[in-house]
Amino acid sequence: MGLIKNIKSYSEGIQISAEKREILTSFLSNGFPTTKDEEWKYTSLKKVIANEYSIENKGTIIDSSVIEKYSLGLKNKIIFSDGRLINSPSIKGVNINGFSEFESANTDSILQLNKALSKNGFTISVDKNTALENPIEILFFSTTVNGFSQYRNQISIGENSEVKFIERLQNLNNSASFVNHFTQINCAENTKVEYNKIQNNTAESQLIDTVNVYQEQDSTCNINTLIFGGSFIRNNLNFEQNGSNCESNMNGVSILNNNQLADNHTFVDHKSAHCRSNEMYKGVYLDNSKGVFNGKIMVRPDAQKIDAFQSNNNLLLSDTSSIDSKPQLEIYADDVKCSHGCTIGQLDDDALFYMRSRGIGIEEAKAVLTYAFASEAIENISVEQVKSLAKKLLAKKLNVDLDFSL
Amino acid sequence: MLQIKELKAGIEGNQILKGINLEVKAGEIHAIMGPNGSGKSTLSAVIAGKEEYEVEGGAISFDGENLLELDPEERAHNGIFLSFQYPVEIPGISVSNFIKTSITEKRKAQGLEPLPTKNLLKMMREKMELLSIKKGYLSRNMNEGFSGGEKKRNEIFQMAMLEPKLAILDETDSGLDIDALRIVANGVNKLRTGDNATIVITHYQRLLDYIVPDFVHVLHNGRIIKSGGKELALELEEKGYDWITKEADKKWA
Repeated sequence: MGLIKNIKSYSEGIQISAEKREILTSFLSNGFPTTKDEEWKYTSLKKVIANEYSIENKGTIIDSSVIEKYSLGLKNKIIFSDGRLINSPSIKGVNINGFSEFESANTDSILQLNKALSKNGFTISVDKNTALENPIEILFFSTTVNGFSQYRNQISIGENSEVKFIERLQNLNNSASFVNHFTQINCAENTKVEYNKIQNNTAESQLIDTVNVYQEQDSTCNINTLIFGGSFIRNNLNFEQNGSNCESNMNGVSILNNNQLADNHTFVDHKSAHCRSNEMYKGVYLDNSKGVFNGKIMVRPDAQKIDAFQSNNNLLLSDTSSIDSKPQLEIYADDVKCSHGCTIGQLDDDALFYMRSRGIGIEEAKAVLTYAFASEAIENISVEQVKSLAKKLLAKKLNVDLDFSL
Repeated sequence: MLQIKELKAGIEGNQILKGINLEVKAGEIHAIMGPNGSGKSTLSAVIAGKEEYEVEGGAISFDGENLLELDPEERAHNGIFLSFQYPVEIPGISVSNFIKTSITEKRKAQGLEPLPTKNLLKMMREKMELLSIKKGYLSRNMNEGFSGGEKKRNEIFQMAMLEPKLAILDETDSGLDIDALRIVANGVNKLRTGDNATIVITHYQRLLDYIVPDFVHVLHNGRIIKSGGKELALELEEKGYDWITKEADKKWA
């Protein structure tokens, strides 16, 4: 059996449009990517798709204490429970709805599957000249045992508007859930968007998360990805810069243990001149965990005066953890500034001794150094609540009682 | 307070300390002098508990407890402080955060609640004043981009905050100009009480003009070859080390 068969038998019993049926057929004939696929060389889906999943959501009702537990307590909350939109705030200048159909570049079979069978997700459109003071928190809860869920979300930001989001997917049981998450963000001229992803799901959770960002001139889009929990996480962040003076920023912090795997794939397509991109990914790997980073930067022939920077720094804190890191720069313009850097290292013994000599225990000293290592990326987050949650989760993950504040 | 008996220690199979005997009592200041490579920094590292150093023989007790059985952090909790010759840069951690963490951890080990932030900041301000440290310093990253003098001053600042029973100042004078030297020495003197003790490790007599020792020991080739009062430092300044090291070399040949 396995996921492909689950999908086949599920899709036989439902009504979908001819177009979707065609996309589904194409997906079924291609199947999920394998490690023979260049984009999936270091990350195998084999085990993930071998499991049995429940495709129809068979959830139970969640109560407000659950929401409180996982929420950052922000005023504007969009809440999904097993795919159903159960809460949506009313905000001046912002239209929030449930799932809607939209066109997307279905570049891989995972997005084909998402296009063909998704029926849940949000649609947010922000009017022009709207600057939201309060961030929008988006929570997806799942109570379905071994659920396979797909969400398909679209955000359109009107000219001169500014919005911040925080997104969290949370499984409410310990089963091996699997989510195929897709979000498309359209940033009109002179917009500012910050999207924070808190990936701290239960130990057996699995996720493929794809974000396609389309930017018009003078827009800035920041995506921050915090990875703490979940057995399998693959993030695909794709930016397309379609106007001058765009800025795309990505910050990532992964702190993994046990047999966790997190794969961050980023792609910045510099199609216009005078744009910037900046990536800072920090990974910390304990036990048998594994990280993958693949950062692709494409500078098209007319995209002169591009300033692109990418860094991927990794700490391997055990003998059996690993990281595969691959920068991929394709530059077809001649007047650009592109650089990348990758480091893999361990904690500095001299620094550990220094801290221990000040009374800081070895585990705490390791945690402080790990925090110090990751803090550069954490400090780039502008939402205070996300920043302090990141610090808390880091301490929790490293099993220490420290708060890293002051 | 501190008793070192026949201490033999080394690193990677090379014996550096070849039988050190030293007793430090509360309220005392001891200076350890000696030429390069005599084992001064090894001695301080062994007292603080640096793991690369192997203790091959002898004993160290601190307040009656066997120090060699304790982890470096436990030694710090018991009141030992080492001012590093080369303080380590820790980017990403502010001075205030670092000090807060070390004080909190020390208090935790003593079964005490963390100090309220307000009290902690007040204490920091007082100690900063004592050491003429400028504002804005607390939010800088630990030792990152600090000048040699700033690093040393930061060591003494931590010492002032942690209030150790025994402070070992390992070449705290190196890298300090004369004004900074005076400020640091002044800080050390003001922190002095009848209950704490200091070991000053230095090459030069200069620091001892400001921090006046009760005892001066000359370390050479892993042994204390001569001990005396503060006048010994002056004699060394005048005559150099040769006159005693030659004699010692003959004796231990």
